[in-house]
Amino acid sequence: MSHPLDDLTALLDGALPPARHAEVERHLAGCAACRAERDRLAGAVARLAALPPPPEPSPWFLSKLEARLADEPAPDLRSRGILASLAAWKWRLAVPATAVAAAAAMAVFAVRQQRADEAALAQHLELLEEYELVASLGDVETAEDAAVVASLDELSPRKEGRP
Amino acid sequence: MAQDPDAALMLAFQRGDATAFRALYERHARAMVGFCHRFVKDPARAEELAQDVFVKLHRSAAGYSPRARFKTFLYRVATNHCLNELRRGEYAGRLASPGAHQQEPDAAPDLDALPSDDASPFQALEAGRLAEAVTALLARLPEKQRAAFVLCRFEGMSYEEIAETLETSVSAVKSLVHRATVAAAEALAPFGPAAAAGETGAMP
Repeated sequence: MSHPLDDLTALLDGALPPARHAEVERHLAGCAACRAERDRLAGAVARLAALPPPPEPSPWFLSKLEARLADEPAPDLRSRGILASLAAWKWRLAVPATAVAAAAAMAVFAVRQQRADEAALAQHLELLEEYELVASLGDVETAEDAAVVASLDELSPRKEGRP
Repeated sequence: MAQDPDAALMLAFQRGDATAFRALYERHARAMVGFCHRFVKDPARAEELAQDVFVKLHRSAAGYSPRARFKTFLYRVATNHCLNELRRGEYAGRLASPGAHQQEPDAAPDLDALPSDDASPFQALEAGRLAEAVTALLARLPEKQRAAFVLCRFEGMSYEEIAETLETSVSAVKSLVHRATVAAAEALAPFGPAAAAGETGAMP
């Protein structure tokens, strides 16, 4: 077989399927170059594992956090927002989790529900990207959805240039 | 997922038990501060980021469902927040000094990270230089590689857990971790192989 260089890190991490693991080990037994590369990678992994841990939280970490949380409203699970119905609709159709698919789905949804939901959707279209994240986190079920999701925009890996 | 004690705490918090949330952040504060430290050098900033993560967790608690493993849920919030912070920092840096390097190499070694017991001055210096090299390495990595690498090498996550955290496939994680580990092998080559006694001797 060709040199399994791309599998050497996974081999070290024990992340190869058993059959592939055995195959790579057999190759290593007869290939000094690949053994050398494996040892080089293993050396780096061992170096990293031996690094001292990052600093502990400061003594005031928890009290500062408590002060910040004291200003936060308690979570409310009783009412449902528009995103909850969007989520339910999405899960029913099992739309693939891509922003493109969601956008296309939203377009269909917007047409179907035009009279009833057009205004609300217009407000929420910009949240589509965040909606992907939220949907992936599980059920979206509260009236605070809009607020929560709006605050999640900072979490989106694709957003750039936001203040 | 019912056996996940963190998920149970999250659900208790959803039912209105505020002490459950406190238990959650007490359990994870140290790990979160350490994790954020892999993305920003300033310890105070790392603590602020970790606090932000718990505030976001508090805000999104209502939408949490135990369908997502709590650990991957937490680290997903944290990873996205830290990467976002990096982008903000780079943007601000570009505005402030268009020609400047992203990561200045002149920062002093993190003294808190040095072994403080009976390590020799030479070992302490070596450890400081190694920590610096790792910081510089992390700063050079593309952000997805950096996230996957930190989760793998410093948080001890399996490829499956990383895939869940980064919302990508296990094969993508395998590739990200591999490329970052190759880069690490290059960056750490000057330090020689790891030795049990902390020495940097020649390969046997």
